[in-house]
Amino acid sequence: MALYLAETPGIPPAETVDGSVETRTPRRAVSSYLLIAPAVVWMTLFLVIPMAMIVYVSFWTQTTFKIEPILTLDSWETFFSSGTYVNSLWTTLRIWLIVLTATFVFGYPTALFVGLFVKNKTLQTTLLVLCVIPFWTSFLIRVLAWRPMLGKEGAINILLLKAGIVHQPIEALLFTDLSVVIGMTQIYVVFMVGPIAFMLGRIDPNILEAARDLGANFWQILRKIIFPLSLPGVVVGAMFVSVMVLGEFATSAALSGRKVNLLGNIIVTQVGSLKWALASVVGVILTIIMGLVIAGLLRIVDLKQEL
Amino acid sequence: MIESRVLKPALALYVVLFLLFLYGPFVVLGILSFQQGPEGGPQFPITQWSIFWYKHILGLAPPSRVSPLPIGISLVRSLTLAGLTMITSTVLGVMAAQAFRRNFRGKAAAFYLIVLGMIVPGVLVGLGSALVATTTGIERHWWSTAFATHVVYTLPFAFLVMLAIFNRFDASVEEASWSLGVPPARTFRKVTFPLIFPGVLSAMLFAFTLSYDEFARTLFSSGREQTLPLAIYATFSVEIHPNVFAFGVLTTLFSFALLAVYAILMSLSVRRAKQVAIQEAIQ
Repeated sequence: MALYLAETPGIPPAETVDGSVETRTPRRAVSSYLLIAPAVVWMTLFLVIPMAMIVYVSFWTQTTFKIEPILTLDSWETFFSSGTYVNSLWTTLRIWLIVLTATFVFGYPTALFVGLFVKNKTLQTTLLVLCVIPFWTSFLIRVLAWRPMLGKEGAINILLLKAGIVHQPIEALLFTDLSVVIGMTQIYVVFMVGPIAFMLGRIDPNILEAARDLGANFWQILRKIIFPLSLPGVVVGAMFVSVMVLGEFATSAALSGRKVNLLGNIIVTQVGSLKWALASVVGVILTIIMGLVIAGLLRIVDLKQEL
Repeated sequence: MIESRVLKPALALYVVLFLLFLYGPFVVLGILSFQQGPEGGPQFPITQWSIFWYKHILGLAPPSRVSPLPIGISLVRSLTLAGLTMITSTVLGVMAAQAFRRNFRGKAAAFYLIVLGMIVPGVLVGLGSALVATTTGIERHWWSTAFATHVVYTLPFAFLVMLAIFNRFDASVEEASWSLGVPPARTFRKVTFPLIFPGVLSAMLFAFTLSYDEFARTLFSSGREQTLPLAIYATFSVEIHPNVFAFGVLTTLFSFALLAVYAILMSLSVRRAKQVAIQEAIQ
């Protein structure tokens, strides 16, 4: 085996029963490094270095159209002394919390039905596929699709007027916080449903039977058994949703009429006017928030153990 | 099972409403794409059903004050970029997952490094690569800087798919091949690759669709020439006409065509695997 390896170092043999011992031989390790190297180099060059660059440039000196590598705290001071920018930080956190809650509240019942109540595998798959199909439309088109829905002369207002529920069209539906939350919830809720349904599908029905036989009602079972067992799914879903919502700017740009400014929107505007240093400051702040959120979520459950 | 009599129908009804919420905007968008043009607006009511905006997309409509979407060339760019991204990230992903079949120093670090690519928000990756490009004087293009950031995003998906495939992979067939004297490279081509092919197809599908639709990463890193999502984004700032809706319907149909191709390839590869298995059983 070692001979073949010498001929083609790129293809290592599979693990043998005593593989853990054999892996310590240098040749095998070398072939592993050769295989992993391109991916690691790519990620270092095009992800780690750019991220480090954001941190570095946030301390550079910004003149009207240029940045110079003279270290300064100016851009940081600009950010924290401006009401607009600090507000966008709070807006981002507010929208994130609302959307996270909304995706959980609206997604959990669906996951419960798909993962636990549907016993037929085909129906289960069909329902999940139905949830995923919208993702085959361009993200931006999905955002844009809410405009004719929510507008003053939009579909929802027309339906409400025809049904006689309201007599005046509701104008608060479009170009407000609400429209941004509705749009983001629809786009990201599936990322909550998927992981939760997966965890629920793994619950042993005998446990639920046993609880029932011992006299627990459904709410007790849901609170004491189903929810705790689905928690890793909730955490994974929350991570997906958080990462995507925190980095958002397109939905808020399209559905709020530029009234809702997230940190992402600030970055886009600043880059648009070549204010690289300030954009970097916002980038660093966003990264820190993201890190805190992920670290916080990981404290809830030990994913490595659960999955 | 549990309180099924009331709860199950109630939840079923809820799921129907949920799906309505997911699909509602598309239905409205689809209906409005058949608005009469060029006067009918992107709202109800439909003044008259027509396919004017579809003709407008394809450049067949008479010139009007609504300028046509620049989709032709940007579609070609997006498809090319998605193809390049798909090949690169699948190859790198298969290689990385193959390396992960055995232990080596720094395995955990390499894992987190690769997975980081799907965690970091697109707007940050885009900003970072734009910074690197401007400060080093590299010109930004969709086929260079944007391509690099796309692979950063799709590689983790390809890698994780292949990792899952190799997890369930029975290595004894490879060992059988080596012990019969077949060199590893040939074994990989003739034994390993056919077995992991369904996974490779899935990785390719992931990479292609993610890249094809990628927007946040492309915005800062692609320079002047627009890809398709950037062309759509440009319409955000101007008045919306139903041509964007017609375009949405067309891209959705295109995605389904892509999905169909994937399904056909998948079922073909499964059938071939079955045939091989049957032949072996007969022999």
